[in-house]
Amino acid sequence: MAAREPRFNQEVLVDTTPMPDHIPKVQELGATSAPLFSAAYFIGERCKAYNDDFMKCKDEGNGRGELDCLKEGRKVTRCAASVIKDINTHCLSQFKAHWECLENNNHYLFECRRPEMDLNKCVFDKLGLKKEIPGSPEGQVPVHLRPKQKYAIYPGPQY
Amino acid sequence: MPQDMPPVGGYAQVQYKRNIPTRGFKPWVYMAGMHMIMAWGTYKYMQGTREQRELAREKMWARMYLTPLLQAEEDRDQVRRHFANQAREVELLGSEQKIYNADRYVLIHLVYID
Repeated sequence: MAAREPRFNQEVLVDTTPMPDHIPKVQELGATSAPLFSAAYFIGERCKAYNDDFMKCKDEGNGRGELDCLKEGRKVTRCAASVIKDINTHCLSQFKAHWECLENNNHYLFECRRPEMDLNKCVFDKLGLKKEIPGSPEGQVPVHLRPKQKYAIYPGPQY
Repeated sequence: MPQDMPPVGGYAQVQYKRNIPTRGFKPWVYMAGMHMIMAWGTYKYMQGTREQRELAREKMWARMYLTPLLQAEEDRDQVRRHFANQAREVELLGSEQKIYNADRYVLIHLVYID
């Protein structure tokens, strides 16, 4: 009988050492791609200052941004988590409908305008966050507000 | 022998012109029709391109809003592994070893654990 425990590479490849205690802990977001994509504009709207601050810190970090910008990074994560939490408390059904639609449609936003309209309306009413695409041309209906989506499977009005 | 001469009253007319009835429209009508079809197609194509551009803008901004968030998470993981690596180095070698002659932070691309 072997006296030594068998060791498999697959098990030890991941370093699970926790973060040292002198760095404050933060709960990771843990959301998958579809909910994040669905909530991206609301995260961007509420957390713009934190996001810009973090990216600026990284830019000026001169290669040490990973170590020096931990504080800004925690703010970014907490802010995004607060958005997700608020959407989950107030608009859970619309949010779920939208991101499940995204998951079923290859993350194409143009296939899911109807659930997106419901979600946007709910989020605007309850949280006051509005989806706006920066840089879209003046004098046109923004693409997320057009009922007809040319590239959708059904190109007629979606709502 | 007398030379051959034209018949009295001259030769008959030679038929050299087309004698088929013209059918269809005048040529410029076909030309104009083709251009109209092309113009319509180009118009639809341009509209589609504009819509695609707006959709791309929408997707791009969504990703740009998410980038700091994902980057922060990734950075935290990198820093955690960096500290773990340092601690392991001290434990195994007795002191921290500098592998680069610079103060620059270098991402750890490989983590050796044994």
